Amino acid sequence: MIEYRQVTKVFGSGDTAVKAVDDLSFTIERGDFWSLMGPSGAGKSTVLHLIAGLTSPTSGAVLVEGRDVARMSGKEAAELRRRRVGYVLQAFNLLPFLTAEENVGMPLVLDGVPQREIDRRVPAALELVKMTHRAKHHPTTLSGGEQQRVAIARALVIDPAIVLADEPTGNLDRANGRAVMDLLVDLNERLSVTILLVTHDPVFAAMAKRVLHLVDGSLEQTTASDGDGDALTTSGRRR
Amino acid sequence: MRHSHGVHQAVLGVVSRNPEGIHGYAVRLQGERLLGHFWRLNFGEIYRILDRLAADGLIEQIAGGESVRKVYRITPRGQRSLDDYVLSPQTDAPRPLRQELAVKLLFASSEHLPELLRLVARQRDAYLQELHTLGAERRKMHRAPFDAFVTHLMIDGAELAARAEIAWLGEVATRLRERYGAGATGNATA
Ligand SMILES: Nc1ncnc2c1ncn2[C@@H]1O[C@H](COP(=O)(O)OP(=O)(O)OP(=O)(O)O)[C@@H](O)[C@H]1O
Ligand SMILES: [Mg+2]
Repeated sequence: MIEYRQVTKVFGSGDTAVKAVDDLSFTIERGDFWSLMGPSGAGKSTVLHLIAGLTSPTSGAVLVEGRDVARMSGKEAAELRRRRVGYVLQAFNLLPFLTAEENVGMPLVLDGVPQREIDRRVPAALELVKMTHRAKHHPTTLSGGEQQRVAIARALVIDPAIVLADEPTGNLDRANGRAVMDLLVDLNERLSVTILLVTHDPVFAAMAKRVLHLVDGSLEQTTASDGDGDALTTSGRRR
Repeated sequence: MRHSHGVHQAVLGVVSRNPEGIHGYAVRLQGERLLGHFWRLNFGEIYRILDRLAADGLIEQIAGGESVRKVYRITPRGQRSLDDYVLSPQTDAPRPLRQELAVKLLFASSEHLPELLRLVARQRDAYLQELHTLGAERRKMHRAPFDAFVTHLMIDGAELAARAEIAWLGEVATRLRERYGAGATGNATA
């Protein structure tokens, strides 16, 4: 589903070069739920950006559904972002002059989806995050937790196979953070959406099926606590 | 709950909630419902505790049961003992400092940085595993048809403790890397 093949990403050059991702390899299977932890600057966001095709690797390859993201045409890459990958950020990035439902429908509008279809899918996405009652509200009149739920609905409206979530609970209090996490767990369990979550919060990280630790752009090598039954696996390599 | 001070009182408390009497099997079921993950008593332990509570006169067997099982109810003395316990100050001591890891850090040499980091990571992973279990427990309790108020509080407490340990272990790893890692300068001896 998502495959990293010896991926290195260097920003800048010469003295100011920064190796954000360092010879990273892993494979996330369909329906998996991984979380990514690590110190600030470890390269977590870059790992997500490379999957969404927002930046390309210096060497190695990132494959999504078997296809090399960096080798996609501009049109294909845009399609990947608009139809397959839902992205949730810490800053909700809602457009202030649009209502909740208009924000949620935006990816579909950009993708040229017919209005009939939009009118069908937007309410369903709002329902999923329990925000139906706020459909006509503007972002500034919503609480942080509500804004994040709208942002998640916007990521889900495209019916994504993959959800990339970069500190989605970072700006929320515990109760709202937990609600967002419950939603992600539910998406994964009920709809088999593949999820990669970046978080600093160990309680939330541990809700995934597997926790990866990134240090200086590579996976920290730890012991493999064997993944039988309900056990959480935390090593970089699969069994 | 295993081996903790409150085990006998927990069993006594479950018996007290059943004025019409309760047998050992039901004590276990009710205990699990009330305390979930934190109630870890097997049948053998429960029967031993019930025998002990009966010997101390805190509970009594109800006579003439048609069942072969022993059915217990709380005595006035048991109720007084339970009330006293509920209102008495906590005896839980604060956790000791993490002596084991501290000793290892003191006496390991700097060439062993990778091994030390693995040690720290393994301990962190154990807490992450605990958090994973607690999270599953919380979701299970959420769907439970009964009031799991205390269990939720217990899970909150256990999560906060694990979170603190993980934060500290992260700090240890970062400082070890700074001090002994490839980029570190200067004194390698503690
Ligand atoms: N566009 C960019 N240009 C130059 N350097 C960059 C760029 N994006 C990221 N970096 C550098 O790459 C490294 C990894 O950044 P990244 O944002 O992936 O870290 P992170 O693990 O997400 O950190 P945080 O937890 O603080 O969000 C950092 O040193 C950062 O300064
Ligand atoms: Mg980041």
